[in-house]
Amino acid sequence: MILPVVGLIIGLLIGTFLPVSMPMEYAKYLSVALLASLDTVFGGLRAGLEGKFDNLVFMTGFFTNALLAAGLVYIGERIGIDLYYVALLAFGIRVFQNLAVIRHHFLRR
Amino acid sequence: MLQKQGHFSIALVCVVLGIMLAVQFRATQDIRSSPKYQRVEDLTQRVIQMEKERNALLDQIRDLRQSNAGGAASAELESVRMGAGLVPLRGAGVIVTVDDTKPAAPPRSNNPNLYLIKDEDLLKVLNELRAAGAEAISINGQRLIASSEVRSAGPYISINNTNFAAPFEIKAIGDPVTLENALKLRGGVIETLQFWGIRIEVKQSANVQIPAFKGTFRFNYAQPVQDGGK
Repeated sequence: MILPVVGLIIGLLIGTFLPVSMPMEYAKYLSVALLASLDTVFGGLRAGLEGKFDNLVFMTGFFTNALLAAGLVYIGERIGIDLYYVALLAFGIRVFQNLAVIRHHFLRR
Repeated sequence: MLQKQGHFSIALVCVVLGIMLAVQFRATQDIRSSPKYQRVEDLTQRVIQMEKERNALLDQIRDLRQSNAGGAASAELESVRMGAGLVPLRGAGVIVTVDDTKPAAPPRSNNPNLYLIKDEDLLKVLNELRAAGAEAISINGQRLIASSEVRSAGPYISINNTNFAAPFEIKAIGDPVTLENALKLRGGVIETLQFWGIRIEVKQSANVQIPAFKGTFRFNYAQPVQDGGK
């Protein structure tokens, strides 16, 4: 469990000191992508705890989920439907579900 | 437990997640510098700037008025003197005559005092006239200024430290129709006073003459503020 936390801290540090600043228009996309990757991380942890972890599935899931979410938001904005909320809701629910499973897993031990 | 491989890929993803989190945090902080907020800031600055400019222009106007001892300054002085009641005025307005009935009280009345004109009654009339936009008012030749009193002094009514008894003649300059209507409102001053047998006559006039204030000003306590009331 140490390695992911270290990774997260390293990522935070990189992001903080990265000289790149994001334009405001993309904040929406990034937030959805963020939630998608959060979902993937929890999903990966869950799969690992259940002993079903597959590296390929995990990595492809991470990128496709993030890109798909951002793309969905983009399309939604183009056609005037707030798919943004749909993505937020779907990923949010999944994050909670994954968290619940992880919690159960630890409780059962 | 997690396999070694899984550990690494999750750590890798966590790095990316961390970067995204940090960037998002910074972006949210940047909202303060977003166009909307900047515009508010901008406009606030401009308002402050404009106010400064306006004040500077007002100062300039005041300076110019003072330096120009001719037309503008004397016109302003004249209007100030008019406001202070130092010049006799004339113009369209109304003349209100207020008088007691004689005999004052109906027979067997409990309190004959109620049927006399008192300071309150005059004040009601004056208040009504002022509210209706009277520009200058005098009572029995006494110009009413900011420090004038209308007060009962024994059997008399004191105005500008001079005692008067009925009848009273109130002159007011202003829109004659408005002034008269204000007094003659249903349930207004005239109706109330007439109930007590006080006779009031309102006469419109195109040429009401109002004298100047004859007393002197002496300010023992009040002092002008030096910075010009800014």
